[in-house]
Amino acid sequence: MDMRDLVTGGAACAVPGSSSSSSNPLAALANTLIGSSSKIQENKEIPTSITPGSERQIYTQTNDHLGALDQPFVDPNAPQHSDFLRGFHGSGGGGQTELDAAWNDIHPPPPPPQLDHIYDTHPQQPILDGPPQRMLSSLLHSFVDSSRGGVPFRATPLPVLGLSEGDKQCIRDRSSIMARHIFADKSEDFINAQVNALLCSLDIDGDARAKGPLPGRFRELEDYWNESQGTLKPGFHAADGWVAEFNQQRMVHGANGWASEFEQQHGANGWASEFEQSQLTSVDQMRGSNISSLAAMEQTRMLANTLAQNDDPKFQNSKFLQFVSKMSRGELIIDDNQVKQTALPAAGDWASEYQHQYNRSPAWADEFLSHGPDQWVNEFTTEREQHGPVDDQWVSEFSKLHVHDWADEFGRQVGEGALGENSTDNWANAYDEFLNEQVAARQRSDTSRGVYVFSDMNPYVGHPNPLKEGQELFRKGLLSEAVLALEAEVLKNPDNAEGWRLLGIAHAENDDDQQAIAAMLRAQEADSTNLEVLLALGVSHTNELEQAAALKYLYGWLRHHPKYGSLASPELSDSLYYADVARLFNEAAQMSPDDADVHIVLGVLYNLTREYDKAIESFQTALKLKPHDYSLWNKLGATQANSVHSADAIFAYQQALDLKPNYVRAWANMGISYANQGMYEDSIRYYVRALAMNPKADNAWQYLRISLSCASRDDMLEACDSRNLDVLQKEFPL
Amino acid sequence: MSANQELKSDALMEQMKQHLASDAGKQLTKKINLVYQINIAPKKLGFNEAVYTVDLKKGEVTIGPYEGGKPDATFSFKDDDFVKVALGKMNPQIAFMRGAMKIKGSLSAAQKFTPDIFPKPSKM
Repeated sequence: MDMRDLVTGGAACAVPGSSSSSSNPLAALANTLIGSSSKIQENKEIPTSITPGSERQIYTQTNDHLGALDQPFVDPNAPQHSDFLRGFHGSGGGGQTELDAAWNDIHPPPPPPQLDHIYDTHPQQPILDGPPQRMLSSLLHSFVDSSRGGVPFRATPLPVLGLSEGDKQCIRDRSSIMARHIFADKSEDFINAQVNALLCSLDIDGDARAKGPLPGRFRELEDYWNESQGTLKPGFHAADGWVAEFNQQRMVHGANGWASEFEQQHGANGWASEFEQSQLTSVDQMRGSNISSLAAMEQTRMLANTLAQNDDPKFQNSKFLQFVSKMSRGELIIDDNQVKQTALPAAGDWASEYQHQYNRSPAWADEFLSHGPDQWVNEFTTEREQHGPVDDQWVSEFSKLHVHDWADEFGRQVGEGALGENSTDNWANAYDEFLNEQVAARQRSDTSRGVYVFSDMNPYVGHPNPLKEGQELFRKGLLSEAVLALEAEVLKNPDNAEGWRLLGIAHAENDDDQQAIAAMLRAQEADSTNLEVLLALGVSHTNELEQAAALKYLYGWLRHHPKYGSLASPELSDSLYYADVARLFNEAAQMSPDDADVHIVLGVLYNLTREYDKAIESFQTALKLKPHDYSLWNKLGATQANSVHSADAIFAYQQALDLKPNYVRAWANMGISYANQGMYEDSIRYYVRALAMNPKADNAWQYLRISLSCASRDDMLEACDSRNLDVLQKEFPL
Repeated sequence: MSANQELKSDALMEQMKQHLASDAGKQLTKKINLVYQINIAPKKLGFNEAVYTVDLKKGEVTIGPYEGGKPDATFSFKDDDFVKVALGKMNPQIAFMRGAMKIKGSLSAAQKFTPDIFPKPSKM
């Protein structure tokens, strides 16, 4: 195939299982850009900063494509084309309530004689809906259905289906991927057995993969490699297809600001350098990777292909697809069940830049979605028109494989995962979230291990006395600022228990228990007997529902207390039972009924076992002794809220906030109480207030999202997802 | 019972139980009107499961399998994952896709299983 066809063709020139418009990096980039171009239409006042020279250069490269587009095009294969699309439509939404029934309606088991007949007449190229496909698809369905009872799938002898090597390879690869989804709870051996049984039925050599890089296999990979090189190497030629796509877009939508928008986002040389990077990435990637990750890439590439066939534009444009595409290009790898960007710096940059881009403006994606349908179809149509003959081949290759069965099946599986009429939306959204979650998980993975995570930019580093500054800020209630100052302090003096302790308290009041625990653990390291630290750790672990850990620290409090330490016998600490600890604390409370602290710990302890009435009593006793302790009021409120006395809780929180207006935790708790009473509009205002004071309070963001959906304020979800506090504060003033 | 054997989910289920007696809980019952059985495993799906029945017809949370027939949907979780889903940290679709949530039963019933049915715990 001509190199030029390769690079301009995108999906049209693809061989099955290797490339489509979405697994082509250029097309993916173009998709992204085109998506943003729709936004520009509304922002025409943004000055165009592209240089005339560069634009002209692009044009000269693409005159021929523009010409082709200008001409009215009569496609002799048009009916087939629409059949093709309809086919995907038809199978896309199947089976939501009565799955099995729908399934059987759509795919009745075929009569075998007819199969043989058709097979004989069309030995070379089975037709689209021919019985071999039905046979194949019902086999695949029974394979999928076998997940339900956990009954092993049995190999079934079938008539010869006339699958080509390519088909077999596709099925082999896809079934391995599918099987891991379908049988996610089963052992690896079971999965392999299932897949082997399926492959055996289809007379496919399942060992090809297991045996590793056979020479033939390797050659195939090399072909993919060469092809992707062909797509990437020559900058200008590669740009052609992309530019053509863009120009087509331009003609349709009249958008002319894409370049400037892109430049705004990436800087003047952003495009060139980004492109270079992605080129380098793939080169390095391919060179550096071993065969197994090549195989994984290839698998995802095939998956990307399959998914690309789903005609739903939302799905088509979803980040999930881009995610899979990205994986198929090796920019993301799955390792230990975690998505990781490849270690190569170039790849990381590209991917993170993309992520960053997305996180900054998810509005983008939505806009793209709203624009999607025509675009995709247009694009597809144009590709077809430009490369008619090749495309036909491609279409029939795919039809032959009945790929939409797989896409459908995949969709159905997800459909079983609590999805409804708009399953594809959810699917796509879910994957978007999945991605964000992965990014967040990367950032948080340190905290979850109890390692403190410092802020990146800290103005207090180098401050002569950050501890004093931090204490001052904390006293004023500027929690987030205090956190920074105290971080500077513990960076300077890592063994300063007081610095760590106050940092932990600040995080707790800022509604971030993970960081609070991390800081308190460091404080405990520096001073293992500090009672306040032990209590704080007990409280934070209780909040995180980590009972055993909480009990350990609360018992530690008793053991290290100068007055009550004698009550605790050292041997107990090896096997802590709640009842013993509670008994000891009750003894302590009898010893000195006027010690508020004992009642506080006792209250926390009762929270642990959900004896809320006793906990409320303890906190109220403590409050009589310490009426100005705002955190105590909050503890009382939280206990009342958890025992579904939300009205009482709101009174207690109000007391806490009167004493400490910047108490983020109390604001967030207010929101929770209103939400639990079904007063979602009110809860939103309190969550937003809490977040305005500490935008890093992840819990509050999650709860805000739930409240927004429950209050039917889906219009604000976008602002929530992009963490746009300005919009939210304006919409929900308190 | 030793605290070490407690599940994090127990706290949420207890709160759910009390929540269902409140006005908001009664509205929830009216709105959903389904019975869910939730199997929660401490570490590994399917092992040492604690079984809860969240009856959103009668407004009850009980320990043990549903006794009034077949639940509309049955979910299996690991303890941590159930907490994540109930608190809105992970949405059910993602949980399902990751294999962190198994579903049996009616699809339309499963769809109504969303994070907002669970009351959120307040923090001390």
